[in-house]
Amino acid sequence: MAQAVQKLVAKVPTLVGAAVTYSKPRLATFWYYARVELVPPSPAEIPKAISGFQDLLKGFQSGRLGQTTVRDALRNGLVATEVLMWFYIGEIIGKRGIVGYDV
Amino acid sequence: MVPPVQVSPLIKTARWSALLIGLLYGKQRYDYLKPIAAEERRIEEEEKKLREERERIYKQLSEANSDTILK
Repeated sequence: MAQAVQKLVAKVPTLVGAAVTYSKPRLATFWYYARVELVPPSPAEIPKAISGFQDLLKGFQSGRLGQTTVRDALRNGLVATEVLMWFYIGEIIGKRGIVGYDV
Repeated sequence: MVPPVQVSPLIKTARWSALLIGLLYGKQRYDYLKPIAAEERRIEEEEKKLREERERIYKQLSEANSDTILK
């Protein structure tokens, strides 16, 4: 029993090294995309976002949105669902627990 | 590799503001639920004490009344 534990403990640095070698390139790819796609909006982009939102509203009022193809509608629905999921991730962080409130 | 796509600012703002709102909502709801849960636990404790007291008395009485020669 003690020998097995010793062997395991001796193996930990190799395992850690292997994990690091495995994850480094993947982390690099993730960072490569995340640095452009997942960054929060810079202060210069917020007026653009507001105008984009107003365009959306105008499109809804003028009935242009009724002309979207099903394909575009599905794509936009997917994007909207992803934005909604960020809300739930924020809630997870705020309540410091993954499932349920730990009161 | 495919070059990273330029996400529209509307989507970026929507995402991060959704994250912020979710964070605040989670924190607020947690702070709201915590004292309620503590109160419920306190009430449960008190009722448990009362219940155990009553059960003890009931058991004592039933033992006192169940005097039979068949014990």
